[in-house]
Amino acid sequence: MELAAYEFRSSVNDTQLITRVVAGDAAAERELYETYVDRIYRLAFRLAGDDELARDFTQATFIRAFEKIGSFRGESSLSTWLHSIGVSVALNGLRKTKRLRNREAPMEEGLTVGVTQREADPDLKERLARAIDALADKYRTVFVMHDVEGYTHEEISGTLSIPIGTSKSHLFQARSKLRVALADFAPEWVS
Amino acid sequence: MTEDNFEEFLKKAAQGYNVPPARAPREDMWSAIQAQRAAGPRVVYGGGSPMRESSGRRFGSRIWLSAAAAAVLLLATGVGLGRWSASSNAHRSVAVVNPPKTDSSFPLIAGPSASVAPGNPAAVALTPTGGRSTTSSPGVALPNGRDSQKDRTGNGNQVALSGPSTNSAASSAYQLTAVRHLSEAEALLTSFRTRSATDQQMDAQLGSWARQLLSNTRLLLDSPIANDPQRRPLLEDLELVLVQIVQLSPGSTPQDRDLIEKTLQHDHVMTRLRTAIPAGMQRGS
Repeated sequence: MELAAYEFRSSVNDTQLITRVVAGDAAAERELYETYVDRIYRLAFRLAGDDELARDFTQATFIRAFEKIGSFRGESSLSTWLHSIGVSVALNGLRKTKRLRNREAPMEEGLTVGVTQREADPDLKERLARAIDALADKYRTVFVMHDVEGYTHEEISGTLSIPIGTSKSHLFQARSKLRVALADFAPEWVS
Repeated sequence: MTEDNFEEFLKKAAQGYNVPPARAPREDMWSAIQAQRAAGPRVVYGGGSPMRESSGRRFGSRIWLSAAAAAVLLLATGVGLGRWSASSNAHRSVAVVNPPKTDSSFPLIAGPSASVAPGNPAAVALTPTGGRSTTSSPGVALPNGRDSQKDRTGNGNQVALSGPSTNSAASSAYQLTAVRHLSEAEALLTSFRTRSATDQQMDAQLGSWARQLLSNTRLLLDSPIANDPQRRPLLEDLELVLVQIVQLSPGSTPQDRDLIEKTLQHDHVMTRLRTAIPAGMQRGS
């Protein structure tokens, strides 16, 4: 009951806030920003792993949101709508960055010719980070949102515009791949 | 049970993945947003479906040069088309108005959307960008906003150039060219920021690329695109950054690179570039 009441209050507040933003109220824009910036930035940082990119993505998210808020129809919550913009901006930006890094890769490989490869086993944190980075975008996004940032499948479903079942399936796939990648550390979770 | 253990283990371990700072840089980001909204055009962003798969294309390092060459070609074609189209329209739409009863010894040529009141030829109203009032000056304003004495008829007639506002083909060509160019510039700057600090080969390639973009930026600054009060400052800031990148020599110090980075951050160049590039126009997409 309490949760339902909270959601109702939140929805009413969001509606009022949106109305004020659409009317050009600068204070309302700031209020909207202050309300959601932390979560948007956190998610952008988790996806990007870089402060500069996370800032760029967060800024782009709010600029785009302010431009498009007039077309917000309230079919989802304001938070979900903002997050969907944020994830879209971040994933598009990361694809672009990845393409550029892939172009740089051949030259970097050229520079490492003759250097002995380090075979030392990386620690769990590093191995896990690499394994998560290697996941496909759709698996990584769901994994980061659910297991790292604590979003529910309902929230992920709304943000990514996918069915809840698909969100669960993506999480399962992500965990399975990570389990394989971390097989060396099995004693740590079996014990 | 093992599955539950793994999930717990994974959730716990994953908390160390890309850990964000304890406090988001709220004020910095808000300032950047405000600056960018004030300076940049109100363009709806690209952003495709968030779950679209990566194209998986792989580019070699040589693609940079061919992409840059293609961009130069496109830019030159666009600017050429635009100028040709603008000048041919201007010539076509010259209309001779009744001989003026005025003391002015010069004929008047009005810019875009100019109107001349009958019987009062000295009163010329200009609405367009780049047009210049001719009521106080005997000079002439061409559709592209440049003065020219060549268009004077020399017979005392007043000449009005009409219709550049309908010059949508030229305008589209300029817009397309500008967006392509800005997209290219964004790609370059992203490469610059993500490159290895010790990679001199990369610096050389970026320098070559920046030189080409610099030429194009200056061409655009000299085109009607620069009449846009929002685009011009962006192109000028971009020109400054490109000059700095071009001047980076192999022996440049990290301070030189930091200076460029600071320029990028201070002027919010990246954010403004991204806003100026509309949906689906990102380089490589």
